[in-house]
Amino acid sequence: MKEVEEKEEASVYQRVVLKNASPYHYLKVRLVLEDDSTRLSAVELKYFIITGLKSLYGEVGAALNFDVLKYDEDTLTAFLRVYSSLVKLWSSLTLLGSYQNQACAFRVLQVSRLNPLPKNM
Amino acid sequence: MAVFMDLNVPFLPDRSDLRSVVETAAHLGFSTIALNYVFEPTAKKKQEIPTPTPINELIDQLPMVQGRSRPIRVLNRLTVLMSDASHFRPNAPEYRCFDLLAVQPTSEKLFHAACMVYDIDIICVPMTEKLPFFFKRAPINGAIDRGVVFEVSYSAAIRDSTMRRYTIANAVSLMESCKGKSVILSSAAQKALELRGPYDVTNLALLFGLSDGDAKEAVSSTCRAALLHAETRRTASGIIYTTRSQREAPQGSEDGRFESSHLYRRYRCLCCVAIELQWNKVMMSESNTPSGLYYWIVIYA
Repeated sequence: MKEVEEKEEASVYQRVVLKNASPYHYLKVRLVLEDDSTRLSAVELKYFIITGLKSLYGEVGAALNFDVLKYDEDTLTAFLRVYSSLVKLWSSLTLLGSYQNQACAFRVLQVSRLNPLPKNM
Repeated sequence: MAVFMDLNVPFLPDRSDLRSVVETAAHLGFSTIALNYVFEPTAKKKQEIPTPTPINELIDQLPMVQGRSRPIRVLNRLTVLMSDASHFRPNAPEYRCFDLLAVQPTSEKLFHAACMVYDIDIICVPMTEKLPFFFKRAPINGAIDRGVVFEVSYSAAIRDSTMRRYTIANAVSLMESCKGKSVILSSAAQKALELRGPYDVTNLALLFGLSDGDAKEAVSSTCRAALLHAETRRTASGIIYTTRSQREAPQGSEDGRFESSHLYRRYRCLCCVAIELQWNKVMMSESNTPSGLYYWIVIYA
């Protein structure tokens, strides 16, 4: 009897419903600068975003958990991953208006809960 | 499907600046924008109310809206900065040239009057200074009942951190009194880089204390309501109006009269339906009775 049960278990269907399983949000953003020739490194970009967070939300905001997953220096396009507080990161990106005394804007291209990057990257 | 609108893009005298702002707005996905002409009356001398420049004179070809493959719609809007009750002249013929009419009151008395009495579409809430008065429930409820909307513009918050503080504080106190209903968010951007996309604005509105749904409405359907309100103001509260769109009679039908009488009957029928439903303010422009041309009938209840 036990054997039969085990056999059945092997082919059993399992229905799992996950609600908000992924704690992350992913953003694809592009930085548009007034002067097209300016280039930022990935470190500078992350520091710039942290500055924006700090000016809007203070020290607590600056401690927000986010990563720059992939960054293309030529097009100034970056994939950001943020842990659980998308609204804070997004609003601070929206309100960032100047980088080193030149006007700039973050254009948020896509927002997703699924990882937009393939596994091997 | 609600389309996104930005009902406050300041009119810039420099043509290339204006062009780049309009192009950026179209690129970001705004289907409609309103060019804002600001009129600030002073007590000393009588000034001219600005007249809107037709958009085809400013920009040769309107840019396409991203994702909709149709050109952006550009409206004209007048904002009157009021510091005295005499500054707003009801029934001024100059106001008729504009699609939208807005006021920015600077005192509590004027704010009350703007909410309850004046025939306007938008009330601007100042974002660059500390709120000169408290919002009271009564006038705000009155304005919501009349269909007047409140406007919050965000570009001052991008420019300066002090302005950001005022913007958030003023917006939050407004949202508390009107509970997030009939509020529109607009840019007031002087440069193309101060414009933000509609979803960015929606997210920013969460910061101002709006709920998710209200935030999206503030850039789409509330703006549409404001436009329709402006339409009723321009047509003397008319709920039905007809305009003639020049279109040639279909080829092949030699007798155009049957076609026109058929259309005429439909038009009368719709008007009768409107009257039977007891929409008491019906305006029919009898001078425009159909004569073989194509008619659009728009109903707004």
